[in-house]
Amino acid sequence: MTKLIEQSRNTWEIGGKTLSSRLLIGSALYPSPANMEDAIKTSGAQIVTVALRRQAAAEGTGNNFWNIIKSLGIEVLPNTAGCHSAKEAITTAQMAREVFGTNWIKLEVIGDQYNLQPDPFETLKAAEVLIKEGFEVFPYTTDDLVVAKRLADVGCKIIMPWGSMIGSGKGLMNPDNLIAIRKQFPELKLIIDAGIGKPSHATQAMELGYDGVLLNSAIALAQDPVKMANAFRCAVEAGRLGYESGTMQQREFASPSTPTVGTPFWHQFK
Amino acid sequence: MIEVIVNGVRTEISNEMNVKEVIKELKYRKKGFALALNGTFVALSTYETTIIRDNDSIEILAPVQGG
Repeated sequence: MTKLIEQSRNTWEIGGKTLSSRLLIGSALYPSPANMEDAIKTSGAQIVTVALRRQAAAEGTGNNFWNIIKSLGIEVLPNTAGCHSAKEAITTAQMAREVFGTNWIKLEVIGDQYNLQPDPFETLKAAEVLIKEGFEVFPYTTDDLVVAKRLADVGCKIIMPWGSMIGSGKGLMNPDNLIAIRKQFPELKLIIDAGIGKPSHATQAMELGYDGVLLNSAIALAQDPVKMANAFRCAVEAGRLGYESGTMQQREFASPSTPTVGTPFWHQFK
Repeated sequence: MIEVIVNGVRTEISNEMNVKEVIKELKYRKKGFALALNGTFVALSTYETTIIRDNDSIEILAPVQGG
C-alpha cells in the first residue's frame, strides 16, 4: 500500500527544480496566518504563491507573513496579480525578483474586471520581455490553444490555462480545450490555474495529463482549510496515478465485468 | 520642500534627494521591499544614484499573501 502511494510522488521538474508534489498552493484568504501555515504544510505543496502590495511607512506589513513563508522552506512563486498591462506586470516582476530572490514569476495580466479573464495580448508582450530578462515565466492564460502556442513561441516552458474564472470554484469549464492543449504541447509543463473548487476538479485535471494544479480559494475558503488541504493532496495524487495508469476506453454499451461462463441457475427457468 | 506621490498619497519631502535618503526620511523599513519610480523598477543597487524630484511617483511594495 505504501509503495502504491509512493508511486504517485515520483519526482518531476519545473522551472529548474525537482519536486515531488504536483499541487501548487496560494497563500491568501485563510482565516489566520497559523491556519495558512498548517494548510500549506498539510497540502504537501512545494510551491506557494505570494504577491506584492503597497507597504505602509514604519510598519511591519508583510514581515510576519513573509517570515512564515520563508520558514516553510518551499519554493515561492510571486504573482503579478492586479496588473492590467504588460508594463505594470514587467515592473512588478522585476520588483518581485528582488524582494523574493527568485526568477520565477506567475505572470497575470487581467483583461476584464468582470470575469478576471487574462489579457492574452498583454500577457504575451510581458512574457516575451521577461523571458529575455531571465525570468522563468508561469503565464496564467485562458484555455485557448493559439494563445498557448504563442506563449510557447516566445519561450514559455510552462503554461497555466484557467480551469474557470478565478475564485469561482466552477471546475474545468472546457475540458476539451484543455485536452487539446495537452495533446499539442507534450513537452511543456502545464498547470491548471484558477477555478478549481473541489478535490474532484483537481483529480480531473490531473487525469487529463496536466502536470500540476494551482489553487487557493478552494482550500482557504473551505470550512476546514487544513482538512481540505489534505483532501487536495490526495486528489492530486489520485489523479496523477490515474493518468499514469492509463484509463480504460469508454464504451457505448454495457459490458459485464463478472464472467458469463458458468452463469448459474436462472437461465434454466426461461 | 518638494511634493512627491508615495504609494498613491501626496507627500512632502525636504528637497530633491536620492532614493536611500527618501526611504530614511519617510521612515520606511530599510529592507524587505522593492521600489518603483514613475512606473519603472529601481534596483536596490541604484538607490544612492537615483534622484527623486518634484512630482515623482514612488511605489514601495512588500510581500503579502497571494493566489
